[in-house]
Amino acid sequence: MRVNLAGQFIRLCVSCLFMLGIAAGSWASEVPFFEDKVARGELPSVKQRLPYVPFVVDFEAEGKKIGKYGGEMNLLMGKAKDIGQMTVYSYARVVGYAPDYSIQPDIVRSFDVKEGREFTFHLRPGHRWSDGYPLTSEDFRYFWEDIIKHPELGRKGVPSELLVDGEEPIFEVIDALTFRYTWRKPNPAFLPSLAKPSPLYIYRPAHYLKQFHEKYADKAELDALVEAMNVKDWMSVHTRLQRQRRPENPDLPTLQAWRNTTKPPSTRFIFERNPFYHRVDTLGRQLPYIDKVIMSIVSKEVIPAKTGTGESDLQARYLRFDSVPFLIQGEEKGNYKTHLWSLGKGSQIALFPNLNTNKPQWRDLVRDVRFRRALSLAINREEINEAIYFGLASPSANTVMPESRLYKAEYADMWTEFNRVKANELLDEIGLTERALDGTRLLPNGERLEITIESAGESTEETDVLELIADHYREIGVKIFVRASQRDIFRRRAYSGDTVLSVFNGLDNAIPSAQMSPKELAPTAQPQLQWPKWGQYVETNAKAGEPIDLDGAGKQLQLYTSWMEATSYESKKEIWHQMLKNYADNVFSIGTVNNSRQPVVVSKDLRNVPENGIYAWDPTSYFGIYKPDTFWFDR
Amino acid sequence: MLLYIIKRILYMIPTLILISILVFFLIELPPGDFFESYVNELLAAGETIDPKHIEYLREEYGFDRPLWERYLKWAGGLLVGDLGFSFEYELPVREVIGDRLIFTIIVTFFTIIFTWLIAFPIGIYSATHQYSWGDYGLTFLGLLGLATPNFLLALIMMYLANQWFGTAIGGLVDPEYIDKPFSLEKFLSVLEHIWIPVIVIGTSGTAAMIRRVRANLLDELRKPYVTTARAKGVPEFKGLIKYPFRMSLNFFIADIGSILPQVISGAEVVAIVLSLETTGPLLIQALQSQDMYLAGSFLMLLGFLTVIGVLISDIALAFLDPRIRLQGGVSR
Repeated sequence: MRVNLAGQFIRLCVSCLFMLGIAAGSWASEVPFFEDKVARGELPSVKQRLPYVPFVVDFEAEGKKIGKYGGEMNLLMGKAKDIGQMTVYSYARVVGYAPDYSIQPDIVRSFDVKEGREFTFHLRPGHRWSDGYPLTSEDFRYFWEDIIKHPELGRKGVPSELLVDGEEPIFEVIDALTFRYTWRKPNPAFLPSLAKPSPLYIYRPAHYLKQFHEKYADKAELDALVEAMNVKDWMSVHTRLQRQRRPENPDLPTLQAWRNTTKPPSTRFIFERNPFYHRVDTLGRQLPYIDKVIMSIVSKEVIPAKTGTGESDLQARYLRFDSVPFLIQGEEKGNYKTHLWSLGKGSQIALFPNLNTNKPQWRDLVRDVRFRRALSLAINREEINEAIYFGLASPSANTVMPESRLYKAEYADMWTEFNRVKANELLDEIGLTERALDGTRLLPNGERLEITIESAGESTEETDVLELIADHYREIGVKIFVRASQRDIFRRRAYSGDTVLSVFNGLDNAIPSAQMSPKELAPTAQPQLQWPKWGQYVETNAKAGEPIDLDGAGKQLQLYTSWMEATSYESKKEIWHQMLKNYADNVFSIGTVNNSRQPVVVSKDLRNVPENGIYAWDPTSYFGIYKPDTFWFDR
Repeated sequence: MLLYIIKRILYMIPTLILISILVFFLIELPPGDFFESYVNELLAAGETIDPKHIEYLREEYGFDRPLWERYLKWAGGLLVGDLGFSFEYELPVREVIGDRLIFTIIVTFFTIIFTWLIAFPIGIYSATHQYSWGDYGLTFLGLLGLATPNFLLALIMMYLANQWFGTAIGGLVDPEYIDKPFSLEKFLSVLEHIWIPVIVIGTSGTAAMIRRVRANLLDELRKPYVTTARAKGVPEFKGLIKYPFRMSLNFFIADIGSILPQVISGAEVVAIVLSLETTGPLLIQALQSQDMYLAGSFLMLLGFLTVIGVLISDIALAFLDPRIRLQGGVSR
């Protein structure tokens, strides 16, 4: 009863707000796409569909223009799996990254953090799922109690983001719109994991999924369903119908801007606007502007060609820098513009000396910081930039980009000036003074200093850059060979220590803020090519891999651990800087250039797409933080 | 004859078992499994993944079981028509393949007709006008078709079709007809697109067909019965079509065995270049990502159709051509 009263009070307040809003402008005018349905009474009016406190996108701050409703946006994708990109692009998160990469409430109205270990979330009153059912704490409880803590459904255990030192949180429902997670120690990974492009979904549409859960559903009906879907048990039914990341189930209610209406398998997925979406423009009109997003699945080989004839309204995926001339040529006929966004990787192409290589003579060498520095100094980054990237990229170590608030020029410049003399000196100092007749240095055991660089064989760009680097290294008496294999084999060899030097892209997140985890700079996971065995050791709690036995790397892990425990923004920032500096000074990976370009093809009619953006998985979610729900067609 | 057919059908059983073992273990042979390639794909895109989740997936799909157990489960499923589950699509294999089968059959059907329409007249002409300019010229054209890389031809034709006729690049229908039921408009749209793959795939098959028609027909043309027919005054064309041409068709019937699997597999590389919604690209993708059951079941289907096709052509040959004797030498 009390809850009810409170609810009524909120309603009253909110309706007052509405009145003000109407006075101020065309507050909450009906979306044309739904006019008929509303008129026929199949859908409540927009006022009732919006939360009482919607998310108002700050158009002015983001440099966006108020738009018109309507239109269909065509996207091209290369695989059926790619429909998962829809949840990356539409980017509605419990909390998400603001344009300045700080964390802001999105689906929730607000959140409070106490001591970095107690997180209280407040939902938006009146917020509804795409089927019109209210979003409440129950949806979060359902995820925690009925999925994660269910003895069978939760078999795979609590997601690692929800564990601090192996300890799980206490989850409490405070009231219908408030809930809380509490750990004994700070959990700095929690909020970023909710804001990620592929986030931890801590909620589920409980009202929909209960019909597939043994605890709530009628057993006979559920058994019939198991039979009909030809799966082994009710859990498979539940798991299959509740997928969040790949919105395959058209009946699954969503909170994203567009909801899937096509049942797979298909080669054309049609996403329709969510009538209950929680964001509005500054005039209070419900977003998204665009009615439908149409995702065509074609073979990825023809995507540049199709884009070049104007078949996509917004395309970056599967386009590469080398198709830019072709794309520009087709602009007039295809009615689009080719923007060049910057790629948000620490280094477009980076070399990773494998500190865990199992070849003893090589291990000693790559663990010698002088050797790594020499390899870095010998690279002529200007030449790479000019020859391969038309001078558009920036020479840099594998570190954060200037767009990050943690950037300092010294990190990018450390050991990256082109200095052959110094490189040679360093190698001489190590004692690699003997040379073969062709100038190649000899190892102490008489072996030639010939290194095979292993590549995953994903791009010709890599091969081109390596060809230049091979020339640079010849000048310092180091001979390199390139061995392009295949992704899986490449990884296996690096993990097992068969690789001495590998090539891959640099830091995945080059525009971090102090709140984001500095995980990539410390040995924390097996996929890290410079220390796979140490990473595995840390990742598996010493069950596999090897303990860290190099000071510089051990220090990084220590710093990372203290970042995990730090609660204040200042101390986190301080730790980030120490880690960046130590990483650059130790040259744990050798960067070439960053800030290279990604072609982004945008229809000439499509508005509010920034001309310059950062195209990255993390933290920008590709187009996600640029809010595709505010894009509109000027037709 | 009946005994022969029964025997042949019984032979099929060990053959199919052998094929299934080969298929399964060959796909398993490369290091790693689907989940490993899945993780590596995510890593390449800059994503991170919880190793626990992968462990769970492996268990969920029975990958913690020994190889032979998984094989038996899969093969047992095949017997009752269960093709298994595709990890990539997270759907039963039957649903994934089923959708694409129709398009594949349409493309192949048109391609075969196209090949025949071109190859037979040319083959007959070349045989009857052996070593003439026409023979050389047409054979040259056919060989040119064989020698041109299909993917290149596909790219060029796709580009030109787009420039000249404004045909959407790739695909078999205009986007708006995808997932719509078949209608006249949809059929016309298919016709607008289908000629490119038909010509591209067709040209490569034509040359071989021409040569075979020509060679077989030449053999027959030299036989005494042709001379006899001429001497009797049978008109030249009738004398050609009614006896020697029909005799020369044996190879053609023997070909049925290979046509059947071809009908559902389509030409893989061309289909990828042209972005056709056929089964070819599906198979290649499945093999690349080690999507075990999708690839395995599909290859198995091809194997099964090959075996059936060979059986049909053998029986048909025995029926149609009394010269082909059964059980070597019995009725000689």
